[in-house]
Amino acid sequence: MHKDVKNRTPILSMRNVSVNFPVKGGLPFIKKGVIQAVSDVSLTIKRGETFGIVGESGCGKTTLGNAMIGMVRPTSGEVIFNGKNLYALSREEFKTTRRAMQMIFQDPFSSLNPRFNVYQIISEPMFIRGEDDDETMKERVVELLELVGLSADDLYRYPSDFSGGQRQRLGIARSIILNPSFLVCDEPVSALDVSIHAQILNLLNTIQQQMKLTYVFISHNLAVVKNMCDSMAVMYLGKIMESGSSERIFKNPLHPYTQALLSVVLDTVVEKERELVVLKGDIPSPINPPSGCRFWQRCPQAMQGCKTIPPESIEIEEDHFVACHLVNGFPDVELPSNYDQLVAEKPTRTHSMH
Amino acid sequence: MKQVLKLRNLKVIFPTNYGIIRAVESVDLDIHERECVALVGESGCGKSVTSQSVMRLIDSPPAITRVDTLEFDGRDIKDYTPKQMQEIRGKEMGMIFQDALTSLNPVMTCGKQIDEMYIRHQGLSKEEAREHTVKALELVGLPEPRKRANSFPHELSGGMRQRVLLAMAFACLPKLLIADEPTTALDVTIQAQVLSMLRNMQRGCGTALLLVTHDLSVVSAIADTVYVMYAGKIVEKAPVRELFSTPHHPYTVGLMSAVPRLSDTERVFTQIPGTVPHPTQKPSGCYFHPRCQYATAECKKEMPPLKTIDSNREVRCHHPLSIRGVSHA
Repeated sequence: MHKDVKNRTPILSMRNVSVNFPVKGGLPFIKKGVIQAVSDVSLTIKRGETFGIVGESGCGKTTLGNAMIGMVRPTSGEVIFNGKNLYALSREEFKTTRRAMQMIFQDPFSSLNPRFNVYQIISEPMFIRGEDDDETMKERVVELLELVGLSADDLYRYPSDFSGGQRQRLGIARSIILNPSFLVCDEPVSALDVSIHAQILNLLNTIQQQMKLTYVFISHNLAVVKNMCDSMAVMYLGKIMESGSSERIFKNPLHPYTQALLSVVLDTVVEKERELVVLKGDIPSPINPPSGCRFWQRCPQAMQGCKTIPPESIEIEEDHFVACHLVNGFPDVELPSNYDQLVAEKPTRTHSMH
Repeated sequence: MKQVLKLRNLKVIFPTNYGIIRAVESVDLDIHERECVALVGESGCGKSVTSQSVMRLIDSPPAITRVDTLEFDGRDIKDYTPKQMQEIRGKEMGMIFQDALTSLNPVMTCGKQIDEMYIRHQGLSKEEAREHTVKALELVGLPEPRKRANSFPHELSGGMRQRVLLAMAFACLPKLLIADEPTTALDVTIQAQVLSMLRNMQRGCGTALLLVTHDLSVVSAIADTVYVMYAGKIVEKAPVRELFSTPHHPYTVGLMSAVPRLSDTERVFTQIPGTVPHPTQKPSGCYFHPRCQYATAECKKEMPPLKTIDSNREVRCHHPLSIRGVSHA
C-alpha cells in the first residue's frame, strides 16, 4: 500500500539546518557550552508522503520536528515550506503560513488543558484565528469528533474523563481543525498501551487519505515506522546517519546504527533461546559530541579513521543515503596505517564502493 | 522446583464516590524458584495492584483486600504486621518500578541509597557496604562504578538509573523480584540492554521474577510463564512458547496481533476494537464479550470459569480458540 511518491513535489525542505542550545550554569551570564541538538541536517519531504524520523531519545528528533514548523529557530540553515523560507517571512506572513503546519504531541496527559472541556480544547485554534461564532465552531468540532471516533456527547466532558487513547484522539482532532497540509506527529503512540497503538495509527492513516496530509512521523520504534512511512531518516546525536526510501532502507540497512536499531525490535515470536543484540553504552552527551563519526564509540565495526574523519552522506542507490565510512570508504585524506587490514575485516556488503 | 509464591483468590476493591472498583477479582498466582512469570494486560486491568498486593503495599483503607492464601517461601505472610513485612521487603522480596527517576531519592547519591540496603538488611558497616555497592554497580554494567556511586540520580541517564535500581533490587539476593513495567520509559536500545541484564541477573542470582508489562513483545524476550489479565481477572495462563504458538483466548490473540512487526507488509495495523470497560461499569457475563468477535449469547450472560487445558494451561473462555486460531474448540 506504499504510495508511489517518487514524482511528487517537495512540500518542505531543510538546508544545512543546525540548532544549538546554549548551556548556562554556575554564575549568571556565563555560558558553559553549546548543545548541538541538530547539526547540519538537509532533507526533503514530498507532498502527501509520511516521513519517518527515527532515533533514541536525545538524538535531536523532536528538535528537528520543532524546527520544521517554526517552534524552534535554527541557529543556521534554512527551512523552505511551499517555496517560502520560513524564517525570512514577516510576522504576519509567518502566522498565515504556520497555520498549514500543526503538531500532535507525545503525551496526551500533559498536552491537554485539564480545565478546558473538549469543545474548548478542540475549538481553541479556530478561536485564536479569529472565529467567534459558537454555532460554526460547534458544528466543526462535532464533525471532527466523529472523524476521530468520538461523539457529540463528549463535547462538554473534560480530559480526565477519557482514557489515554481517547485523549490522543482529542489531540489529533485539535491539530487538524484548521485544515493543515503538514502535520508533525511527535511519538504519537509511545505514551499509550501497545493494544491502543494500532487504533491510533490506523486513524492517522485514514485522516491522511481523507485530508491529503503530509506527515512527519517521529518515533523510536522501527516496526511502526516501517509500516507507516514512505521515506525516513535515522538520526543519531543530531546527525542523519541513513535516509531515503523506507522500503530500501529496511530491505538493505547499511549503517551499523540502523542495523543495531533493527536488531532490538522485539517480536511475539519466541525462538529457541532469544539473544538480544545489545548496543553497548548510552548515547553520548551532545555538549561534547565525539569527533569524527558521532557513532564510533558505540559502533561494533568502528575503524581507526572513524574517530577523526566525519563521514559524508552519499547516495548509495537511488533514494538511499548513508553516512558511514564502512559503506562509503574514506575520502582522500591520510588513512590509518592498518587501513587495508581493517577493510579486509569488514563484513561483505552488496553496495560497497570498493 | 520449590514454590516461592502461592497466591489464592486475591480480591482488591476500592470504594470510590463513583462506585465500587473491583480492581482485582479472584486472582491465583504461582511462582517457582528461578522462574520468570509475566503478568500482561492493558492499563487499568489490575496488574500493578496484583503485584503490589503480593508485597502488601496496597493500603487498607482505602482499599479492601481479601486473600485466601498468600504464601511466600513457605511462610504464610497474609497476617504479617507491617514491621514483619518490612523485614521481608527489600531483603527477600525486591521491586523495580517503571519510572526510575521518581523511585530514587533525588537528594541522596545513588551509592548511598544502595549502601542502605546492606546496612539495613545485612548489618554491614558503612565502608563495607560501599565496597559491596561498587561491586553491585559493576555487576549491572555501570561504567566507572566508584565514581557513579557518588552521583545523584539526575546526573545519570534513564538507562543508568534503571541499572542503579537493578543493583539495589539484587543487593540482598532476593528470592522474588517484582518488576513493574521496567522498560516502558526507556528507548528500544536501552530496553534491550536492561532486559538482557535483568535476565542475566535473574539467572545468576537464582531469583524468581514477576514481570508486569503491557507489551507482549517484552514478554517473549524473557518470560517462562505468562498470565494474561483483563478487567481484573486472569483470562489465560500458559508457558510462553505455547501461548505465542497457540493462543486460546481471543483477547490474547488481539494483544499479540497489536504488536507492530518488522515482517508486516500491510499498512493497516491490526487493532482490538473498542476500549477497556470502565472499572465501575464492567459488562455482564464475560468481561471481554463487547470487544470479542466470537461472542455468543452465552458469553453475554455468564462469566466463563478458568478451565484447565493440557495440564499446564488455563483459559477463561466459553469458546477457546483452537490451534488454528479460527475455528472453535
